[in-house]
Amino acid sequence: MDPTAIMSQLITGLSIASILLLVALGLAIIYGSTGVINLAHGEFVMLGAYSAWALQTFFSLNLFQSLFFIFVLTALLGWIIERVVIRHLYARPLDTILATWGIGVISIQAIRLSAGGELRYVEMPSQLASSVSFLGVDVSAFRIFILIFSAALFILTWYLMFKTSFGVKLRAITQNPEVASSFGINSDRIFGLTFAYGAGLAGLAGALISPLKSVYPEMGTPYVIDAFFVVVLGGVESLMGTVFSAIILGELTSFISFQSNDTIAKALVLLAIVILIRFRPQGLFSSKVRG
Amino acid sequence: MSAVIEKESELTINTGAKRFGNTTSQVITYALVCAAIFLVPSIIDDAYLLNKFSTYLIMGMLAIALSLSWGYAGILNLGQALSFGLGSYCMAMTLKLRTVPVHTGSEGLPDFMVWNNVETLPLIWQPFHSFTFAVLAGIFIPVLFSMLLGWFMFKGRVTGVYVAIITLAVLVVVNLLIIDQQRITGGFNGITDLATLEVFGFEFDAYGSSAYYLIAIFLTICLFLALAITKSKTGKIFQAIRDHEDRVRYFGYDVANYQVFAIGASAAIAGLAGMLYTIVMEFASPTFLGVKISLSIVIWCAVGGRHSLLGSMLGAIIIVGMQGSLSESETFLETWTLVMGFVFVIVVLFMPKGLAGAVESLILKIKSRNQE
Repeated sequence: MDPTAIMSQLITGLSIASILLLVALGLAIIYGSTGVINLAHGEFVMLGAYSAWALQTFFSLNLFQSLFFIFVLTALLGWIIERVVIRHLYARPLDTILATWGIGVISIQAIRLSAGGELRYVEMPSQLASSVSFLGVDVSAFRIFILIFSAALFILTWYLMFKTSFGVKLRAITQNPEVASSFGINSDRIFGLTFAYGAGLAGLAGALISPLKSVYPEMGTPYVIDAFFVVVLGGVESLMGTVFSAIILGELTSFISFQSNDTIAKALVLLAIVILIRFRPQGLFSSKVRG
Repeated sequence: MSAVIEKESELTINTGAKRFGNTTSQVITYALVCAAIFLVPSIIDDAYLLNKFSTYLIMGMLAIALSLSWGYAGILNLGQALSFGLGSYCMAMTLKLRTVPVHTGSEGLPDFMVWNNVETLPLIWQPFHSFTFAVLAGIFIPVLFSMLLGWFMFKGRVTGVYVAIITLAVLVVVNLLIIDQQRITGGFNGITDLATLEVFGFEFDAYGSSAYYLIAIFLTICLFLALAITKSKTGKIFQAIRDHEDRVRYFGYDVANYQVFAIGASAAIAGLAGMLYTIVMEFASPTFLGVKISLSIVIWCAVGGRHSLLGSMLGAIIIVGMQGSLSESETFLETWTLVMGFVFVIVVLFMPKGLAGAVESLILKIKSRNQE
């Protein structure tokens, strides 16, 4: 491989990694702090993408203008779902797989029946439709934007978790719910907000990838599986681990698909993850979120 | 210390047995349901409908398989469809080699291989000229594969969510490989245009009652074999592992061996179901080992009641049956799937033991009222 080709694969890998991180971040927050295995996460991604489409079609807002609304909308939905269903299941983590899968089915069908099953397209913001030359490689400006945006969201999330009273409370509950509540921390409220934040992040992820991929009701399913592997590989309780594992998976996928093909790349990466879980179930990076 | 634990564990097993009703009444109930299944062809003589019913029964077998490993041994296998798919491909391969020469290339080379410029029959297809080999492979390949995977996981004491993630990942890997290796597997299209199954000069027509009876017989055998396993000492240990894995380990049992056996037994049933599915569907496709069907099996068991083999089986038959009867109309099916999602969430929230659990507690209530 000549240097340009390597550079090009590196950048492709980073681009895949940034999308993975974008999708996995919300999942990592929810799973890491509440222990809920949210199979409906992919559907929040899908709902984010559909919100982008709806805001563009019916209110002619471009993607930048709609991002805020999309976050609020999906976060609100996440909060409602947490209040109505999830909060009854904190004691039964395996059952959350089942319940959230059901919620996913409901979301997919609700979209199918209302927006229809056909493919929808979201326009890329015109400012970012061009490509930029970077170290001799042409890179789409929009992909660079996603990279920067997901890095920014990660820093924001990190700040939220470690530098605000909300984060301190959340980490306290994760560490020891009884002691936390005896200090007057309302775990109900905190978990509700955490779920809402995670759902909002998924919504943003969906909105941002919508111009790159076509939008359809089942689009979320592959994402939730990939995102799970990112979270597990990184270590459930490690935010930094999520970033590193997204980069590792992104680069691995990019380089193996260059050598063989996409399918083999995916299969090999999954096999690597299976072997890793067997020997290191705590993930590659188990530095903990809790203090 | 160990005596105390032993007593306590005996206690849980005893109350467990009482909770699930006594064996005789259970066997009678199971037999009655199976008898009802055998009566179906005498009521329905629509070939198309009978073919559909056959597929429902096969889904029932899949639910029995998962109930055994998930409901009894506590192994949430999200890759149950893997065994199902492998079984169906084994059957499809041998039936493909028996198709009339019109559909095949020179020397009986399957049509899709001709399209993919394959010149000689690949080595792994060779033994499938023998039907006996195919049937054995359809059961033992899934069993060996699952046991190997189980050995890999359980010797490392992988539990709970991680079992679910690993089994799901392996399913996706195999699915991707089957789609990728188009020259051998037929890729996305799977293996189509199969011969009708013929054993000892007797034809099993997919749309006739013969195939239905064949499936009903195997369903009954699997149901009672699974019941026998759950009633045996091994079955008791399965349940003990599900409830208190560590305590069973303290007794000196090798927990991993029991788990490997559970996942293997469940794979045997699923592999058999896969072979039967190919017979009634008349093709094999990568969707048979898709994530969707794998998750569906979990849903059937959860709704029917995973702690009950019969409950899981009926859960599958009822859910798939309703889906099938509504599939004529697109909007109906969509709406029904939506309703199903709600039902499912409600079942998880309020009936963690599924319909079978609800029925059991109802019977218990009536019994205790009678005793008063």
